[in-house]
Amino acid sequence: MTSPPEGGRWGPAQRERERALLAELHSLPADDPRRDALRDELVVMHLPLVRHLARRYRDRGEQFEDLVQVGTVGLIKAVDRFDPDRGAAFSTFATPTILGEIKRHFRDSARAVHVPRRLQELHAAVARATEAMTQSLGRSPTVRELAAELDISEDEVLEAIEVRHAFAASSLDATAADGTSEGAVLADLLGDEDSALAAIEDRESLRPLLEALPERERQIIMLRFFRNQSQSQIAEQLGISQMHVSRLLARTLAQLRDGLAA
Amino acid sequence: MTAAVTLSFEADTRNVALARTVAATMAARADLPLDQLEDVRLAVDEAVSQAILAAPRGGVIDLEFLETPAGLDITVRAPSSTLDPPPTDTFSWMVLSALVDRVSAVVEDGQLRLDLQVVRGLTVDA
Repeated sequence: MTSPPEGGRWGPAQRERERALLAELHSLPADDPRRDALRDELVVMHLPLVRHLARRYRDRGEQFEDLVQVGTVGLIKAVDRFDPDRGAAFSTFATPTILGEIKRHFRDSARAVHVPRRLQELHAAVARATEAMTQSLGRSPTVRELAAELDISEDEVLEAIEVRHAFAASSLDATAADGTSEGAVLADLLGDEDSALAAIEDRESLRPLLEALPERERQIIMLRFFRNQSQSQIAEQLGISQMHVSRLLARTLAQLRDGLAA
Repeated sequence: MTAAVTLSFEADTRNVALARTVAATMAARADLPLDQLEDVRLAVDEAVSQAILAAPRGGVIDLEFLETPAGLDITVRAPSSTLDPPPTDTFSWMVLSALVDRVSAVVEDGQLRLDLQVVRGLTVDA
């Protein structure tokens, strides 16, 4: 792992600067006021590494920027603990610390649930088949059709479908799309939102809740309920799997309901 | 035509997950495509949540599924503390009506009844 993996490689000048900063920081006593500026510069230099590592977890139901934030805490710890005399590259040293903070964040929010391997594989197989069959059938397949296609029982298909709801925040979804093509669609949808909301009595409570949603979640709600598109159609439009749409939809509706009841 | 399946549980939000899971199983049995299966899950979530809101503490919710030649009929019954069915100009109702093909609500003899009808959509999406 070399830093930064994003935004191009470092030149010799940057590597030299990193080395100098780390060496100076290490030479200063823990309470020296000059440490702050050195540390800040090192942290800024390595933010691309944090973003790169956080990206691996971006589809687990946490906001990307939140992950960058907790990852940065790990980075600061790594800067403070790094010992240049040991000979390891800083990024090699920092990576496990950053990942550790990110993982701890999931643990702390009680969301990193372990999904047994068999179920993960089952889920992945059903997700792939669903996508392929939706293409060929022009609609989403039934459980029976999936079972026949994959040569497994209908119960196993159901189990695979169920698991994504049970383990809502785990890594079941591969990042099919990193949020491309979203902005334009949203702008186009806002008019529909207005006219649909006009008919709703609780719109004044609903509107801020909708506005607070991440863009993709808001789009999914609008496409499903204000434009009456099917989950498969939404999936295709947003470049994510139908299973992913269904999960986001369930989660977002629950959130909105809680918000409205509050 | 198969016999109806009924699930009864206390009006407690902890039971909503149970209702959802049974809903998914029943939707699969009714041979609904996944899109609709997931919609049924959400619709049952929504309907049961409304019923729980309407019911007094300790009330019992009945959730009934009936496979029909056309698809799946779902009925939610709950003792209701009000005389009026839930208002239909709310987001919750809008969600419910978008998720199933037909939905209606009545309060009769102190009991709220929500009827949801799902017509199997095996034709190509519009």
